[in-house]
Parts: sequence; structure tokens; C-alpha cells
Amino acid sequence: MSKNTTDADVAFISALAELLNKNGLTELSVKRDYGQDDSLDVRVVKQAPVVTVQAAAPVQQVYAPAAAPQAAAAPAPAAPEDPTQHPGCLTSPMVGTCYLSAEPGSVPFVALGSAVTEGQTVLIIEAMKTMNHIPAHKAGVIKRILVTDGHPVEFGAPLMIIE
Amino acid sequence: MAKASWPQGVSRHILDEVDSTNAHALRLAPTSGGPAWFLAKSQTAGRGRRARAWASPVGNFHASLLTFPQGPPQQIALRSFAIALALRDAFVALTDLPDSFRLKWPNDVLLTGQKVAGILLESTGAGGRITHLAIGVGVNLVAAPDPTFLEPGAVPAVSVLHATGKLFSPEDFLDALAPAFSAWEGVLVEQGFGPLRDAWLSHAARLGENITARTGKEIYQGQFETIDLQGNLMLRTPHETLAIPAADVFF
Repeated sequence: MSKNTTDADVAFISALAELLNKNGLTELSVKRDYGQDDSLDVRVVKQAPVVTVQAAAPVQQVYAPAAAPQAAAAPAPAAPEDPTQHPGCLTSPMVGTCYLSAEPGSVPFVALGSAVTEGQTVLIIEAMKTMNHIPAHKAGVIKRILVTDGHPVEFGAPLMIIE
Repeated sequence: MAKASWPQGVSRHILDEVDSTNAHALRLAPTSGGPAWFLAKSQTAGRGRRARAWASPVGNFHASLLTFPQGPPQQIALRSFAIALALRDAFVALTDLPDSFRLKWPNDVLLTGQKVAGILLESTGAGGRITHLAIGVGVNLVAAPDPTFLEPGAVPAVSVLHATGKLFSPEDFLDALAPAFSAWEGVLVEQGFGPLRDAWLSHAARLGENITARTGKEIYQGQFETIDLQGNLMLRTPHETLAIPAADVFF
């Protein structure tokens, strides 16, 4: 490439590293398209011990929404909002692929409107062939499902809203 | 190699029959006093990834380790590589055929290029933390499933007996595997993933070659470059290099 984007790229990566630190994140990936066949892929990873994920971090500026809310039954929110700010939001403790049922084609663990007890498995997140059964963090009713079966989720991504 | 002794503080249970050793281990987790291996002579509902049935005839090895690991879920999942390396160590210790065993990402063991063992880890937790983990291991010691039982495109299966002519009991296999896993888990906890990554890569099948990775919804083809520091499969496609945390790999 004749175009000199090195300085701009370095500044961009520094900004990402700062964002990572400021938000207490451990990993951040961004793809920037400059034009046809010209793009920059950046992955910034911090090897520090991961802090607890119980309190949802404000990650909406770096993670794309995991998926559109499932099904028309989910009432459209009145205003743009960040699901992770919702007190009933269950967030992902890890990067992986999420599954809403125990096996392909079987009945999902929960559905919109299901009542759940605290600790009940509501979905599975797989990484490294480890199937992590993700429990409901509180008892209540599944108000929103923010992920799609078989799709990737990021650390801290909103999974479901339980109220 | 001197025979390693059974790991301290880990109990050893031999059962005639259970539904699935992982299910059994997870049921006992709340009341189990500490880590424990459960070996079942047969399983009536053995299962693999995404609840695929796992054939479990008597004479094959079906066992699960129940553990109570500390740390973030992403780190705990790296035990996938610890158990794969331990399995390879156990095979090599018993058969003395170090060149015959390779690892397929993330944790299948291949004997002369065919699947001889499968691993499934299952965790449960609370509040964003994992409270316990079952590490299930199935080994075709005496019999491999019929090809019609396998998914189309899957790596063919083989048994230790058929490929090497050597016969080992499940109990003997457990006595080789349990100390090997404890050793690798100790390395992971004390030194991090680096030494496991190096060891895994040195035994990896199809490194640098073209492979297919099928995730929940997508199929990617590319060159198997390496695994990264989180254990992700790094796949170089014509457009980009992907870091894949979960997939079925096809050759």
C-alpha cells in the first residue's frame, strides 16, 4: 500500500489500549475497513487476572449488540437503552458460543415469559469444549432474550433480562 | 517411565453402571467433599458435545473428574488442554508409542489419525463464577463405534486394541490418567497456559494445514495457524484470521 496509515494506526491502537484499561476489559477486537482489500484488524489483550463479572461493566461502546432480541413477543423498548444497565440483566462471564438448548433442536432451557429460580440453568456458553451452564442470577421471569442460539458472545455481553 | 502415584486428596470411585459419568459427577457435586474421579464400567446415556450420544461398551474407558477450580471461567476452560495432554501422556505411558498420538483442537486424541478419545467438560456456577467442573473422558480401549454411528465427515474412530494390539483395563487407564491430569493442572495453576500451549502445539494434528471449523452457525475453512493465549483456534481464511473459541473441527 502506498498510502501511509502507520501513524494513524498506531494512534488508533493506543486509543484502544486506553479504552481497554479504562473499562477494566481484558480483550478488545476491532476491524476497520479503509477500502476494498484494505483493512486493519486489531486485537488488544491484557493478561491481567479478570475481575469479577457480577456487576455489569459499561461495555456497550465496544461490544456490538450480541443479537436482535428474539421473536416479536419481545416488546420494543421505548427508548434506546443499554441492557447491561438493567438491574435484571444477566451478563456473560466469558467469551464463547451460546446455546439456548441442551442439544440442537431440543426444547430451550427457557422461553420468554418463563419463570425461573435462582441458579437454574438458562443457557450454555461453550469455549474450548467446556460447556458452561449459566445459571439465572435471580429468581423471576424471563423478560428478554438478547442472544441467538449458536452465536458468539463476548465477555460482559448482555444475555437475558430476568425480572 | 516410573508409574505415577494416585494424586493426593482426590478420591477414586469405580461404578458398575451410570447414565453418564459427567451427570453423575455433577449430581454429587453439592455433597462431594472434594475432587473425585468416577469410573463407570458402562454408561447407559453417555454423551458428547451438544448431547451427541457416546457409545459406551464394557471394556472401554468412561470416567469423569469432579473438580472445584478457582478463577475466571475463561481460565477454567483451559483445563480442556490439560486433560488432552494428560490423556496423551497416559496413552504414551501405557503403549510406549509416543509418535502415534496427536491432538485435535481442542481436546480430541487421535491414534494414527483416527479418534481414540473424546473429552467433554461441563461446569455449573453462580454469580458469574464457576463452582464446579466435571471433566468427562471417553476412550475406545477395546471397541470403536461403527462408522454409521458417526456424523458424516467426522474423523474415523479406532480402538487402542485394534490399532496397537494392546489391551488395557479401564482401571489401569484411570491410574495413568489421574496423576497425569493433576500434574498438568498444577502447571496450569502455577505457571499459566504458556507451557500447556507449547506442549499442545508440539503434539497438534494438522498444524499449518487447511482445516474446516464449524461453529454454531457458520462453517469456516482456512489454515490452522496456531492456538492463541486463550486457547482459541487461530484460523487464517482468505480474508482474515479468526480466533475461534468453540467449533467442531473437520480435516
